[in-house]
Amino acid sequence: MSAVITPPASPATPPAGPLHHRIAWHLSHSPKRELWLAWGTLIVFYNLFFPVFFIVAQVQPPPQPTWDLATQVHWFHERHLGIPVGFGIIFAIGGMNAINNALIAYSMRRMSVSRAFGYSYLLIYSLSAIPGLYLLCIALIVGTLRPERDPEAVGWLYDFAFLSFDGTMGVFLIGSLIWMVAILLDQNRVFPKWFGYLNLCNALTEVVVAPCWIFRRGVLAWNGQIAWWLDMVVFGVYQVTFIVMLFQMIRREDFGTGPLPEPKPDLARKKAAA
Amino acid sequence: MMADLADKSDRVRFVPGQPDMWAFVLFETLVFTAYFGFYLFYRTQTPEAFLHSQAQLDLRIGVFNTLVLLLSSWSVARCVQSARAGAYQPALRDAYITAFFGLVFLCVKVFEWARQIQLGNGFDSSDFFTYYFFLTGIHFVHLLIGFVVLGVVIYQLRSPAPPRSERSQQLVETCATYWHTVDFLWVLIFALLYVVR
Repeated sequence: MSAVITPPASPATPPAGPLHHRIAWHLSHSPKRELWLAWGTLIVFYNLFFPVFFIVAQVQPPPQPTWDLATQVHWFHERHLGIPVGFGIIFAIGGMNAINNALIAYSMRRMSVSRAFGYSYLLIYSLSAIPGLYLLCIALIVGTLRPERDPEAVGWLYDFAFLSFDGTMGVFLIGSLIWMVAILLDQNRVFPKWFGYLNLCNALTEVVVAPCWIFRRGVLAWNGQIAWWLDMVVFGVYQVTFIVMLFQMIRREDFGTGPLPEPKPDLARKKAAA
Repeated sequence: MMADLADKSDRVRFVPGQPDMWAFVLFETLVFTAYFGFYLFYRTQTPEAFLHSQAQLDLRIGVFNTLVLLLSSWSVARCVQSARAGAYQPALRDAYITAFFGLVFLCVKVFEWARQIQLGNGFDSSDFFTYYFFLTGIHFVHLLIGFVVLGVVIYQLRSPAPPRSERSQQLVETCATYWHTVDFLWVLIFALLYVVR
């Protein structure tokens, strides 16, 4: 049994008019403004995250695991500016990740499932950020800013950075499965069921990265076609999908506890505005 | 209006179970197609080495496991048929038979892995065996999830208060679709690893 809390009709209705007016209204009046802020933070985070890793620091796609020490030291030297600047940005914005996770946990609180799902997800993803993000950044910054160290030590940092980043993707496995189970059990229709199954697809590709601890060359190495490239494609599809799903969830949110209403068609709103 | 509803209902029933599960089937098929593509590509690079390693696999074990999994697909299909007809006890029996076949498959697979490792064919001993352990391993994980899925089927069939809901029947069919997918992927893996020379 669930009691539906009906939000007041008039203040929750955005005014008709140009886009910037509607955005201004959402910022000042909308009861969903905190949710939109969290979603906007997610967009900002990922729009900085990928360019930093791929363009500024140039540490992805990952370099060869088989390089000799001299090449590894040279690789660090080539990035003596990009890595500190890029990872400086990552350290500054890394906290945004907590807001992203909170929005996902919110989606699970809005479902008809136990709150334990959301809390577990938050805990797991908070801890996963350490091996899945920060260890790489710390190891690569140390390697870059201490070039006078023994090349053996630099080589150790090189291995440590990429193995901790790619080789620990399994820590995200349980988080994806928690979200999947919550979506499949949910009766509030917060997300479509296929998105739950997509979580399973993503979780299964997290498993595939683990062999990079064993292989230094081939498709399962940390830069291999299966362990990195294919997983990146799957993760990219998953990433874009969950951002759109969260957007739709906020649009449909009514702050009740029952099923989320279906999205209103834009056409009807335009007609009403006319 | 009624015609629209009927149309919608027909569309929804166009595939067995939740249509959403078919998105999973499609996506996983694409991912496995990529795995198979990489395998075939690297096979063309060193065909002799692949053939030499492949010859060390026992085709009989592969055939046996394929038959076992095909039988499990048959029993899960019977389970769906019985559940549709409202015969829940036979459906439940078929679900247990499916689980039994799945278990046989897993045991034979572990036996085969152990045998290959004893022969010196480990995960990283050759390119072929890397693919062999990888493809059979990831399929193994899918099958383990299949046991959870069968658990859902058994839970739905054992739940009291007949008549059972349409949602319950839909869940049984959705789970059966997952099981068939695992079987379908195995048939492709079997063909590539054991048969194609």
